[in-house]
Amino acid sequence: MSSLLDKARLMMNIHCLGRNLVTASSSLHCVQLPAQKEAHFWYVLPDEIKDTNLLNQYFEILSPSEKESVFRMTGELLKKRAILARALVRTTLARYQINCQIDPKALKFKKNRYGKPEVDLQYTEDWKLPQLRFNISHTSSLIACGVTVGSPIGIDVEEKQRRLKNDVLAFARRYFSPDEIEMLTKIADPELRRLELIKLWTLKEAYVKAVGKGFSNLPFNTFTFQFGNRLKTGIHLRPHVMSKAHEITVEPPDDSKNISGNWQFVLLELYGSHYAAICIEQESTNRGKGSIPVNLMLRKTIPFVEDECIFGTDKAVVIGGLTTLLEC
Amino acid sequence: MASFTATSMSMISLAKPSLVPSARISSPNSVSLSIKGRNFPSITLQPTGRRFQVTCAAKQETVQKVCDIVKKQLALPEGSSVTGESKFAALGADSLDTVEIVMGLEEEFGISVEEESAQSITTVQEAADMIDKLLESKC
Repeated sequence: MSSLLDKARLMMNIHCLGRNLVTASSSLHCVQLPAQKEAHFWYVLPDEIKDTNLLNQYFEILSPSEKESVFRMTGELLKKRAILARALVRTTLARYQINCQIDPKALKFKKNRYGKPEVDLQYTEDWKLPQLRFNISHTSSLIACGVTVGSPIGIDVEEKQRRLKNDVLAFARRYFSPDEIEMLTKIADPELRRLELIKLWTLKEAYVKAVGKGFSNLPFNTFTFQFGNRLKTGIHLRPHVMSKAHEITVEPPDDSKNISGNWQFVLLELYGSHYAAICIEQESTNRGKGSIPVNLMLRKTIPFVEDECIFGTDKAVVIGGLTTLLEC
Repeated sequence: MASFTATSMSMISLAKPSLVPSARISSPNSVSLSIKGRNFPSITLQPTGRRFQVTCAAKQETVQKVCDIVKKQLALPEGSSVTGESKFAALGADSLDTVEIVMGLEEEFGISVEEESAQSITTVQEAADMIDKLLESKC
């Protein structure tokens, strides 16, 4: 719990902000837990956050080791990004706690045996915490946190305009599967090809992060993404005509006993400038009955300041995977 | 962007300058150390022959080449400090940068990096050590 000094400093920060706030955690808008088969996707736009008092407030909720990590980043922009990423995770998860009782600073994290960060639920005695799962991804212009209850989740965000230092096909040949290389090779326009590579990259990242066993246990060239019409899965369509009607499936590595599970994917385009891939595991009882859409709730946030529900707007467009966007 | 308040920064404890040995690198193969004003003789790496220079690069050269590739991949401004201890993540590298760096290293040194090894590289020094080990097996 906060010491008197922490409270005093907090009150000072709040006065500086000039807002009518009582405590930091009460200015976090509480939300309902994601339901089964539902994923929540929260994001911040670093360029919108310039108030140093606010950044200090974010910094203060970090753990000592997180603060150390921030200091190790070289340069102000990277430090800011690191602070925002950790603050986004802590404030987001704190919103789901019963009556928002949990101070974002009090959350503890651990790593699974492959190094994937997870919420550490062990430390609480009094209250029963929901089994929140999360994953984050950041670019210089967008930092995102995906949340589910119970289902492993992996997300990845990339800027559409990202240029590879290597040739696109050379990169694909080095890291992607044979079918994917073939698919990319068939795209004549180099710009379209580059965009498809980025989409594939985000999907692959999201998948590996969702599985949570590390990249060396699931090398990118051992699995293939396929885009199909939901009536006829497995048909290769030209990727740049992929639409939200098209299901994204992954053909897992041959050694599939390592990676079991019914993984579902969503591919979004945000603000016309970013691709975001989300991967969650659906219940295996659904297998064979055809796919059920992923229910997805999107929110843009400036923690402690404001949240915006992203629904029915072209700020976020589903460009692949069976998805139902939810109103908040 | 404004820097942070003094209270936030007070956590950093800087090593006392007088105790940190300062190394002056006069040429890629020669380093002289001075600690507390006392100078130590220069250590010079002897080139052991043309073949070794090309295929078994001295560790320092390897580190320097890795630094150059990292700087290029991350488009770091000229004069940015990248050393053996630099962590890729701390320089702003994400996973896409890291795999591109690995590709660059494979090309530069004519080696092939396993996925398992690629994942374990987090600093410039680790990359250089891995490269030297792979090159050693080729000599």
